[in-house]
Amino acid sequence: MSPPDNSSGATATLETVLARMDEAIELLAAAPAFSKTTKLARILDTAKRLMAMEGGCAALESRIQALEEAGVFLGSDWASPQILVPSMTTHALQSPDPNTVVIEALSELRMLAVARGDYLHPQLSVEQAHHYLTQVLAINLAMLFTPPSEAERATQGRLAEIPRRVLRHLAERIGYEHVIDQLIDEIWRILRQRPIQVDPVKQMITQIAICRADPNIDLGASGHGAERLVSSLFAPTNACRDDPGIETFEERLAHLDSSALQSEANGFARAMHDTGLASPYHAAFLRYLRGKADHLLADALGLSNTGRDCLLCYRELVLALIDEAVYPQTAQAVYGLSMMLERGILYQTAVAPALWRQIGLPLSDWAADRLYMAFGDTIPPRRRLLEGVLMMLGLPLGVGQGNNPTCQSARALSMWSFNDPDYLLQILTWGARDDEVIVHFEGQPVSSHSALDGRPLPIDLDPVSLILVPHLDHIYNEMGRMCIGREGDPHRWVNPEFHGWWVGRGFRINVDVATGKLVNPEDFLRHFYAYYHPYYNGNQPLIHPQPAGIAVTDSAARFIGWHAIAIQRVALDTSGEMRVYFFNPNNDSGQDWGDSVKVSTADNGEGYGEASLPFEQFASRLYIFHYDPLERGEPGQVTQEELDECIGYIRRSWGAERLPSVEMQASQGPEG
Amino acid sequence: MEKNPDKGYVALLGWSLGAVEAAENFDRRYVVVAPEWAEDYCKQHDIPYIPWNFERLNDRSLEIAETLQAEGVDVAIPLYEETVEWAGAINSVLMKNPRLHGQAVLFRDKALMKRRAQLGGIRVGIFEEAHDKDDVVRFLRRVNQTLLKLDGDPNDPIHLKAFDKAGCLGHRVIRTPDEVDMIPEEEFPVLMESHLDGWEFAVEAWIHNGKIAFLNLSEYVTLGYSVFVPATPELESWRPLIEKEIEKLIKTFDIQFGQIHPEYFVTSDGTMYFGEVAYRPPGFKAFELMERAYGFNAYQASILVFDPHTTDEEVKNFFPEPVKGAKGYAGCFGVYPRRRVVSQLEIPEEVENHPYFDYHELTAPMEETVTKRTAFGTHWGLVFFFGDDPHKLRDLLKHQEELDYYI
Repeated sequence: MSPPDNSSGATATLETVLARMDEAIELLAAAPAFSKTTKLARILDTAKRLMAMEGGCAALESRIQALEEAGVFLGSDWASPQILVPSMTTHALQSPDPNTVVIEALSELRMLAVARGDYLHPQLSVEQAHHYLTQVLAINLAMLFTPPSEAERATQGRLAEIPRRVLRHLAERIGYEHVIDQLIDEIWRILRQRPIQVDPVKQMITQIAICRADPNIDLGASGHGAERLVSSLFAPTNACRDDPGIETFEERLAHLDSSALQSEANGFARAMHDTGLASPYHAAFLRYLRGKADHLLADALGLSNTGRDCLLCYRELVLALIDEAVYPQTAQAVYGLSMMLERGILYQTAVAPALWRQIGLPLSDWAADRLYMAFGDTIPPRRRLLEGVLMMLGLPLGVGQGNNPTCQSARALSMWSFNDPDYLLQILTWGARDDEVIVHFEGQPVSSHSALDGRPLPIDLDPVSLILVPHLDHIYNEMGRMCIGREGDPHRWVNPEFHGWWVGRGFRINVDVATGKLVNPEDFLRHFYAYYHPYYNGNQPLIHPQPAGIAVTDSAARFIGWHAIAIQRVALDTSGEMRVYFFNPNNDSGQDWGDSVKVSTADNGEGYGEASLPFEQFASRLYIFHYDPLERGEPGQVTQEELDECIGYIRRSWGAERLPSVEMQASQGPEG
Repeated sequence: MEKNPDKGYVALLGWSLGAVEAAENFDRRYVVVAPEWAEDYCKQHDIPYIPWNFERLNDRSLEIAETLQAEGVDVAIPLYEETVEWAGAINSVLMKNPRLHGQAVLFRDKALMKRRAQLGGIRVGIFEEAHDKDDVVRFLRRVNQTLLKLDGDPNDPIHLKAFDKAGCLGHRVIRTPDEVDMIPEEEFPVLMESHLDGWEFAVEAWIHNGKIAFLNLSEYVTLGYSVFVPATPELESWRPLIEKEIEKLIKTFDIQFGQIHPEYFVTSDGTMYFGEVAYRPPGFKAFELMERAYGFNAYQASILVFDPHTTDEEVKNFFPEPVKGAKGYAGCFGVYPRRRVVSQLEIPEEVENHPYFDYHELTAPMEETVTKRTAFGTHWGLVFFFGDDPHKLRDLLKHQEELDYYI
């Protein structure tokens, strides 16, 4: 027996607990996969004690690779860090269950080790981890700076100290100023894409506002860039500079003279168009103007000549929409309304009457329940849906798929809002009123009715998607099933039938469905250039958005999966480079796909919600596209250099293992 | 782990994840024999598996023995009290030794076991079988008459145990005839024993070729609450005497191989009373404590001594030296809520900060009202401690009885 050590005082020291941790890690590592879970209690309990000790988080950070390799995350969602969502961390860190808190905290420490470059992770890049941590810190700023609330104390007890210590460790290692400033940059970057769903962004801005207002928190020189963000939500104009609350604000409005009202209108419009966020005061202001000073509506909405014209032509409709949909609880409806008017789509003859139908639309119980479940009861579901309609019509490229594998449905909604808004309103009517959407596939009706039978449905969506995605997802999959037995990729038939007549019936794919190998990549690219690149298609701009499939890669250029996007247009950017502008239904299009392929969302001529890449870089990630077979372009004129450059990008990324080592002979592609 | 084809092939009777894990990481081939509910799990994790329901032995019993024989299995190892007799029956076929089944029956029936021990010259307390409540009252009276108690003197308690259940399951302590009424009819028949004043402790012994390969003493702090290994020097001072007692046991029960788990009382003058013996791993995580203290896996130890192809040399190299070979003292405490109504689990701060505190396996309370504790062995989970001073550990374990883990 070893001689007794002198550590047996009243309390355990970091060293003794660490020794126990190392032993526990060894046991976990040695256990066969089926019994790893039985070793976890010891690991998690010891980790919890370490996290509560000075220096414990740092010690765990240095052991996190060993911990992960031993299998601490095995069999849980945390085993795939690339799918973790920052917004879920708050819930986990505030859980009353110590194991949930500890495993979440360990996962953050792993992100930290990866972000600092100490841990080369097979599924995570340094940037990904860094980005993730910034968001985690942003979302949990309150925990970082304030002691546990009474509620937390009641559910978590002493445990509430753990997430705080871990977050503090993260912030110290990354740098507080860095956190706030990066958070602000991050918010601006997201807002520039003008998403429909802004609740997470609003949450982050609120956290910053709370931190800035708290005298106990020293942010140093950082955080000044938050001014516009915070004011756009809480104090966009003179009359609400002190965030007085809606009631007081309305009282003040009654005493304003016409020039002050005018300046309020301008102030609101400026704040909203700067950020894409509408303040609840803004909604209250519109409701106030309605009937009293209608002439200021156009200014308050910040409309250009187009929008103003539209407003004047469809005055009754716009007023009805304000009455029915614009409330402080549905403030984003203001922005949606403004952008919809700007798009001029009311001039399409079917849209205005379709909106009148929408205003009076009775909701089915299912639709009302779903809206109630997702958004609560601060406003009736009917008004919530109408707000959603205005946002989707105003921001067709702001649709996001949430954390769901339903990119096709999100893409379709966006495409319809962009291209065929009255059709969007038609299927929304079917979905929200009748609980059934019917789309035809090659003459056969495909019903969505059975989609609603008890399956868990996605909930993190905008109001329109919330109603329609379950229907559309079901129909899309059903169409795929109807193609079973056909040779080749089913998207060829499903895409045109699902989206609309404008999707090209010509179809090319460069991947062999059975083997996953690349087939005739050069021929594929040559034709893509000929159909889409203005230099080879007779300088013809793209007429309708076209669905396309891309191979998504991570920042290390490793293949992640297949993804549905829509090509919106191909054009020269401000610096004379030919770019593909596309819609990515993923909630944030700004992504690094590795090998210097960085998807841009601003500063290269992008419109709101558009993502863009130089033509050859985009082509290198493409695996499916549609085209009109009657418009042939000039495939022969595409230069070998251009194709070689493209193939180089493929070879260095997702094609590394899929390209034949010797270039393909003139064999038949899957399309013949 | 790579399996050694020259060594034995063992069947584990009953489902124990700890045992399967140990077998997976050991060089002997193994197969799990367990009820059908284990099938999905075994398939999913590629665990060798043969389904079998261990109900009462019946005329189909031979079937599993023949299945295992056809599979090439050398020996069956019982993991639970309920599979001890099965192992005896199966091994009597596998090893062509019919006596093994008779031996297993002795281990299974506590009355037969005591009688056999008595015949072998092992000292046991007074015991009797009870078929109804009247038997219990009579025995309680007689035991106390024997002790020359007068009317009004507090009775010495008697212990009631089910014949064929493991450890503390169904164990009741009876002091007055009133308490007899509390016993449900379905618990009969039971074994009654006089209470032995003395120091109760347990032994885990691995036997190979009829000799003790390793002997561990588990010291109880409070029966049903806490235990630790190795024992204090005070208890360890009885080791030579205990070894003699175990040798008697080996001879009396004709044990050639396997792992036994007897319980004894030692009185202040050094007299040993035999409590009972089980031919299977002990409950209360004693195997885990041994691994924590000594570093060897006790299930692997069992596989080793059961395997007929194991050599003496292997056995010698496997086991550490008792007490001196331990890295420290490992103990555990079975938590039972002290309050009638509880809402949450909170590890006492003094425990969490104690250098001896290792980890716990407690879970949040499933229900708020705590049922009154009637028999032993119904704790809500274990708390583990590890340290280098046996006395400090013992006092710490005792102290846990005064702490609230559930509030």
